[in-house]
Amino acid sequence: MSAFVSTLLRYRVAVILCLTLAAATLIVPGFASLTTLSLGLDRGSTIGLIAIGLTVLLIAGQIDLSVGSVFAVSGIVGIMLQPALGMGWAALAGVLAGTAARVVNGFLVVALRINSLVATLATMLVFRSVAHWMTASQPIPGNDIMFSITLSEIYLEVFTVCSGLFLVSILALHVWLTRTVAGRNLFAVGSNALSAEASGISAGRIMFLSFVFASTLAGVAGVLQSLATNTGSPVYGSELTVAVIAAVVVGGTRLEGGRGSALGTLGGVLTIAALTTAMEFQSVPAYMQQVASGLILILLVVLDRTVRTGRRKPAAAPVHA
Amino acid sequence: MIGKTARLPAALAAILLASTAFASAKTVCYVTAADSHAYATPANVALNDRAKELGIEILSLSQNFDVQTGTEQVSTCIARKADGIILWPLDPQAYIPALARARQANIPAILINSPMAEQANDFIKSFTGPDVYEEGKLAADSLNEAMKGEGAVVVIAGQAGNGTTIGRVGGFVDRLKEIGSKVEVLETVNADFDQQKALVASRDLITRFSDRITGVYANDDTMARGFIDAWKEANSGKPTPPIVGINGQRDAFDSIRSGEMYSTIVQSPVEDGKLAIETMAEILDGKDVKARLPIPLTVVTKANVETVQPAF
Repeated sequence: MSAFVSTLLRYRVAVILCLTLAAATLIVPGFASLTTLSLGLDRGSTIGLIAIGLTVLLIAGQIDLSVGSVFAVSGIVGIMLQPALGMGWAALAGVLAGTAARVVNGFLVVALRINSLVATLATMLVFRSVAHWMTASQPIPGNDIMFSITLSEIYLEVFTVCSGLFLVSILALHVWLTRTVAGRNLFAVGSNALSAEASGISAGRIMFLSFVFASTLAGVAGVLQSLATNTGSPVYGSELTVAVIAAVVVGGTRLEGGRGSALGTLGGVLTIAALTTAMEFQSVPAYMQQVASGLILILLVVLDRTVRTGRRKPAAAPVHA
Repeated sequence: MIGKTARLPAALAAILLASTAFASAKTVCYVTAADSHAYATPANVALNDRAKELGIEILSLSQNFDVQTGTEQVSTCIARKADGIILWPLDPQAYIPALARARQANIPAILINSPMAEQANDFIKSFTGPDVYEEGKLAADSLNEAMKGEGAVVVIAGQAGNGTTIGRVGGFVDRLKEIGSKVEVLETVNADFDQQKALVASRDLITRFSDRITGVYANDDTMARGFIDAWKEANSGKPTPPIVGINGQRDAFDSIRSGEMYSTIVQSPVEDGKLAIETMAEILDGKDVKARLPIPLTVVTKANVETVQPAF
């Protein structure tokens, strides 16, 4: 019995996701359908792509509050340069803008040793202002609305380009975290940077690369969103950061670093997407949705603590729940 | 565990039954700008009340002024297989792909209150609501008259990029040019149709320009109120410069009576909400509707403040 309970606790994200889906199916008429699945995946994929980058960063023991602002800047660059560069190159430039943004973050945190919470709080404000400055606070329309429509088309009845990309990326992250040396080093740095350093891992380099990775993905998400809506807007992503952090933490990644998983993040993203969609089906006001997300977050953190105290004994095994 | 799995088919059957039961009453998905807002709330209430009379079920979703939330909510409406969508757009472009999906799913969509870019016209059946560009022009005429054709104004605009803001500011600026007015625009600030933000922005404007401000144009009465409060803080006892607002709120009427405001333009949220659902009802009945259905506008000054009904 206790083995059953501990398995449930171990896969608590999956359990919560299943419970959410089951409850939604029972309570909300018309919820269980392919359309819901595809649209739910699509809405989850924006948060999801950013969450992938943030998962890596959190495992390395850092945090990034500027993802929402980078998301906006990348999207704006991707739309703004369209007349000059054409859509493909402009999109690439947008993604690179995201990468560049995080080189700044990485430099502040790793080279200047500024606490990542403070550093990215500052860059969050700076990048948001840059977004407003670039656009004079106006959303800018892109060249080709037909492409946006193509981009939001649904393939095989379930996938859009965004949601497909998200699912592939999260599987790639899973493999990278669990099957490669670099992935394991990341956990080592996050658990204890000093002892990782002592065993020959360059903690600074790994943290820096994590920042670059996270921002690049925020850039990808920003460009995709802007292409899908044919608009680069300075206000995009302003409510995103908190949702992304929530999704990653619901997925069992520890804010203190050293623990987390790609599949957990997938579970977290899907749980939040399912929750939001289900409540919208019932036209529950937006503020009540936030309450529900908050409660689930607290529940999971409490469960997380129970599991950790319960599993102290076999501490020799590598921990990557 | 076994009991649970046996219950599953029964549950599924129940859901199927429930969904077919729901299919009989027409459901219209209403993606509104916000839940609690001086203008949006009475429009929402009017729309819901009229829907009840028409026997239409409303699934109401609030964007809380976030465009991204709104685009996702349109997708929810499609997944929910609504019979129609009424969208309050907050951006001229961003909803187009979502509206394209709606058309693909054969769900008719109309816009309420704010316009979108021309490319959206292919995907909507109609746009009901005030002509916001016309309102900007009426405001320019009114303020120009109050300032006798010269002076300097500050413009307190709504949310950046919002169709209503673009129309109300654009109509105002264009009209001033058109009539050859010597009224100069000192600065345009965005205060997001929010009284508190307008108060803060106005404090800055008053500090920067002080006596040079000889007129004020606010994109709605809520923000005009913000300016009046800031003016009173800075210059107690000194009369306000002529202020023109839009919407025709009750407290704006009071301000016009007391001379704190020069004029407002009545645009009734009740008419706005009613017209949208009535238009949707006609579409659901298979009737053709006009692509543009405006609601009436009235300029209110001291001269007619006692004879016109405030909008809300």
